[in-house]
Amino acid sequence: MGRKAKDVLVKGIIYLATGITLSVLLFIVGFIFVKGIGLVNWDFLTRDYNEKVVYAFVESNDVPLNIDEETLNGKNPYDKRYETAIEGPIYVENIGAAIAKVAYKNHSTEREQFVITYIEKDSPLKSAIDSTGKSITIGCDYILQSINGNDFAGLTLEEVATTIADESGELKIKIVQPGGGIKSNIITTLYMVLLSLIVALPLGIFGAIYLTEYAKPGRLVNAIRFAAECLAGIPSIIFGLFGMAFFVVALNFQISLISGSLTVAIILLPVIIRSTEEALKTVPMAFREGSLALGATKLQTIFKVVLPCAVPGIATAVLLSIGRVVGESAALLLTAGTVAQIPGTLFSPGSTLTVQAYYVAKEEGNIELACAIGIVIIVIVIVLNILSRITSDKLDVFNKK
Amino acid sequence: MDANIKFNTKNLDLFYGDFQALKSINMEIREKEVTAFIGPSGCGKSTFLRCLNRMNDLIDSVKINGEIIFDGQDINGTIDVINLRTRVGMVFQKPNPFPMSIYENIAYGPKCQGMKDKNQLDTLVKESLVKAALWDEVKDRLNKSALGLSGGQQQRLCIARTIAMNPEVILMDEPTSALDPIATAKIEDLMSSLKKDYTIIIVTHSMQQAGRISDRTAFFLMGEVIEFNETPIIFTNPLDKRTEDYITGRFG
Repeated sequence: MGRKAKDVLVKGIIYLATGITLSVLLFIVGFIFVKGIGLVNWDFLTRDYNEKVVYAFVESNDVPLNIDEETLNGKNPYDKRYETAIEGPIYVENIGAAIAKVAYKNHSTEREQFVITYIEKDSPLKSAIDSTGKSITIGCDYILQSINGNDFAGLTLEEVATTIADESGELKIKIVQPGGGIKSNIITTLYMVLLSLIVALPLGIFGAIYLTEYAKPGRLVNAIRFAAECLAGIPSIIFGLFGMAFFVVALNFQISLISGSLTVAIILLPVIIRSTEEALKTVPMAFREGSLALGATKLQTIFKVVLPCAVPGIATAVLLSIGRVVGESAALLLTAGTVAQIPGTLFSPGSTLTVQAYYVAKEEGNIELACAIGIVIIVIVIVLNILSRITSDKLDVFNKK
Repeated sequence: MDANIKFNTKNLDLFYGDFQALKSINMEIREKEVTAFIGPSGCGKSTFLRCLNRMNDLIDSVKINGEIIFDGQDINGTIDVINLRTRVGMVFQKPNPFPMSIYENIAYGPKCQGMKDKNQLDTLVKESLVKAALWDEVKDRLNKSALGLSGGQQQRLCIARTIAMNPEVILMDEPTSALDPIATAKIEDLMSSLKKDYTIIIVTHSMQQAGRISDRTAFFLMGEVIEFNETPIIFTNPLDKRTEDYITGRFG
């Protein structure tokens, strides 16, 4: 084969490899988006995952319907994926809201329910309070289950409307706030990122400072470096097992935010140490000499001259770490749990987005929801990437001229 | 002891591991003069210079025997090295301003010593820049990064930074080797004017430079001082054949 033909062949293979890589990437991201985008909306981001039953106390007050019938019929805010309209809506004056009967069906449940489809501007529902007197919001796809002890189960829409209209004075309404959102997972993820970085960043940076600035090159340093590299290569489930045995059981932290973040902090350490070390190594020796020659101490030299120069590198470490925390699932599954709730304290459990994605895909077989969570994860990672790039550019001492 | 002697080295040996880089150096360096070290690459002149403010401490494999007496004190003894370096400043071969503002570069040393008063610092920064003949060029951009300056300006900034510590001695390790002729001329003028207040010790590869600016010159060869004398004598009437060979360009 001629040299030219060989050139063309090799070039073809290179282009093909690049093309395949790119298309696989695009395909995956595209798949996630196509599958999940239908579920992503404001409610999805701001609601809890689990349905919540509350009792709302409302002062009944007749409010006439201010829009025409046709517009009212057009309002169907319920989730068409799971809910199918059966009857209605009917407008009930004393609560100033319209309700409809729908059939609800998801992966695990199947039921009929009465859903609010429209709330009039002056509706008494707007000033609903709970049993402790705190005001609660009632939204347009909330489910009504009973009023003053009269349960709606098995009734027709007509009967429900009459039951409500018959009541007056203070009404005690049993309401189900719909779930399906991932607010708690987003918040848990942010907590997890924050807490693990608070623990791992100082440790990692000081460790890297020791390795590059203080330690005399030799066996000990090599051993530490080797250990850090090994640590970086160990699958996270191993750390998860350790975290479970040590933090959860031995220290009795339970399955909690703190157990999870400490476990993840250990996973982050080698990443932070290595990238900080690389950053410190690129700081020219001349800066250290210049500083020492001016009578600065070693510590002053490190903190005033060397570290500021290493900031872009450390920012990269932070970025990699955030990616690692957001992407971590195996270790967190074992240490922080799968409870979709906002952790009230450091010792409460909570599931991050990835754990939740695993959970809904595996336990509920809900691939679409998992993909929707995937979209949110991708967006968060991209946003954090851009943010940390901007900050690292801003903090780069070599950029300011 | 002669009060005019700033540095006095006695039988100074220096080893990099097994390699002996300095061999029994005995030298007296006088106060408020410019002393130049010349010699071919690798002859130990920079190494010797770095002994004088203990910059060789940074290199692990270095071992030093003999004495370096600075104002009557052995600097390898109980002396505080931080204190020594505030009294013996150093300017390096390549300009190495910190990646901070011009102001912060000058204020860095004094701040590290604990000076906090803003007015005091302002005055000091201005004085140092004036002394280093840089004030007029940078007075309008003190808060801009020092990295935006030209090479010559950067080197004068480094000199100003050293002056701000008000040292007794300024060590210069080939301070103009990375600069163009015009910047070099400016630095040489600066050195002549600094001579009144400071003892200057300079390592240089340029014999013309040593001839122009120094009062005394030491010729180093393979870790030894071959000849140390007044500059005119070294350049016109050297006692040693090897000095003459080097001066006249027959080797080196």
